[in-house]
Amino acid sequence: MSHVDDGTLHAYLDGELAPSEAQGVETHLAQCAGCRMRLEEERALITRAAELLGRAAPPDRELPPLRPGDVRPPVRLWWQVRLPVAWAATVALALGIGMYLGPTVGRGPEPAARADSDHAMRLQPQVVPVTGELAERAPHTTRRGTARTPPAKPPAVPAPAVEADQLERLQAEAQPPAAPAYVRNEAAAAAESQGVTANAAPRRDAVRGSPIDADSAHLVLGAAPLAVPDLPVRGMYRARLIGYSAVVIVEQSLDSSLIIEVINARPAPATRKTAAAPSAALRAADQSVPGLWLEVRGPLSADSLAALRRRLRPLRP
Amino acid sequence: MSDVTPDSLAEIYRTTYHALVRFLYRKVWDAERAEDLAQEAFARALVHKPESARGWLFIVAANMARDDARRAARERRHLTLLTAESPESTPALDDAVHAETERAQVRAALEQLTPRDREVLLLWDSGLSYEEIATHTGLARGAVGTTLARARRRLLDAYEAGTKGEHVARG
Repeated sequence: MSHVDDGTLHAYLDGELAPSEAQGVETHLAQCAGCRMRLEEERALITRAAELLGRAAPPDRELPPLRPGDVRPPVRLWWQVRLPVAWAATVALALGIGMYLGPTVGRGPEPAARADSDHAMRLQPQVVPVTGELAERAPHTTRRGTARTPPAKPPAVPAPAVEADQLERLQAEAQPPAAPAYVRNEAAAAAESQGVTANAAPRRDAVRGSPIDADSAHLVLGAAPLAVPDLPVRGMYRARLIGYSAVVIVEQSLDSSLIIEVINARPAPATRKTAAAPSAALRAADQSVPGLWLEVRGPLSADSLAALRRRLRPLRP
Repeated sequence: MSDVTPDSLAEIYRTTYHALVRFLYRKVWDAERAEDLAQEAFARALVHKPESARGWLFIVAANMARDDARRAARERRHLTLLTAESPESTPALDDAVHAETERAQVRAALEQLTPRDREVLLLWDSGLSYEEIATHTGLARGAVGTTLARARRRLLDAYEAGTKGEHVARG
C-alpha cells in the first residue's frame, strides 16, 4: 500500500473510515515509520484545531426544556401580517356571530377555527409586536454585562403547559427503543439524588458511532482505553462528544442484565476556566491516565459508579 | 449516525441541541441568539417532521443563521445611532477580556477560511459524521477528510498569523 494521504489520516483519526479501510491504514502504519510520524502530527493538528474552536464556543449550559412555538418568528412586515390578521378577525367575527345567534348555529364555525389554529399560533407573537421588538433588542444592549459572568444558571424559561404536554408525549414515545438513553437518564437521576452536582461532569450524551477494536481504540486515543478489569467487554465504539477530540466507549457487562459504559475521552484542551474546572477536577481524582477524561455510566447509584471508576485500568489485549 | 439513534425528536433534541447551538454560535456569535435559533429549528422540526431530522436541523439552522445575519446587519445600522453615546460598561475582569480576545482571534481565523472549508469544520466540530457532512455540503464522502485536513491546517495557520501580527503591532 502506498503512503496514507492527509485526508485518509484525518478520516482515520476521526474514526470515519470503514473497518476494512482502517485496517489497510493500520497495516501500512505498522510498516512505515514516516506515516506513523505523520499520524502523530495530524493527531496534534486535530487536537489543536479542536482546542482553538473550543475557545470560540458558546457557554456550556444545561439542556433547556424544548420550547416548541414560543420562539419569535422572524419579524414580519405589516403587509405580511395583514393577511393572517384578517383571517383571524374573520374567524373571531364568525364565532361571535355564532355565539350571538345561539348554540344551534354556533356549532358551525368552530371546526374552521380549529383548522386555523396553526395561523393563530403563528400570529401570537404578532399580537404584541412592540414587546417582541423590545425583547429582541434587550439582549443586544445588556449582553455586554451578562455574557461575561460564568454560565452558571440555565435559562429559566418554563415551557408553557400545553407544549409541555406535547413534549411529554414525545418523550414517552422515545422511551421504549432508546435503552441506552434510559440507562443514562437513570444514572443521571441517581447521581442527582445522591447529591452529586450535575455539573461535576459535562452531562452530555456521547453520540455513539461505529464499533472499533482495541488496537484502533489505542491508536485513536493515543493510549489504551480504560475499562473495569475482570468484566467481560461486550463491545467498543467510537463516539462523538463535543469538546473532545477522540472518544471511545467500552461497553461491559456486570451481569447478564446490567451493562455499563466506560467513556474514554481525550479532551480538546479547554482554555476557558469555566469549561476547564470540572475536567481538571476529574483528572486530579484519577491519576492513572493523564489526559483522558473518564466516566462510567450505567443504571447504578453514583457511589457504585464512582467505585467502578476508581477501578478502571488500561485494557490489555 | 442518524440511522443509529431512534428517529424521535425528543431523543434528537437531547443529543443534538448543544451541537446545534455550537454550530449556530459560530455563525451569529451571540449565545442567546444561537439558543433561540436552535429552539426555533426544533420547533420547526416538530411541525415538519423531517425524515433525517439531524441533518435537516443543521440545514435549517444554517439558513436561519444566514437570514439572521442579514437582519442583524440591517438593525445594526439603526442601532448605531441609538447606542453611539451610551457609555462603555464598567471594565470587565481580565479573564473575561482575555477569553473575549481569544474568541475574537479564533473568529478572525475562521473567517479567513473558504466558506466550504469553514462549513465542513464547523459541522464536524458540532458533532456531525462525515456522512452527514457530505449530505449537508454536497461533497463526496471521500472528500470530507481531505477538506477537514485542509481546514484544520488553515485555521491554525490563520490563527498563528493573527496572533503574531498582533504581537508585532503591540511591540
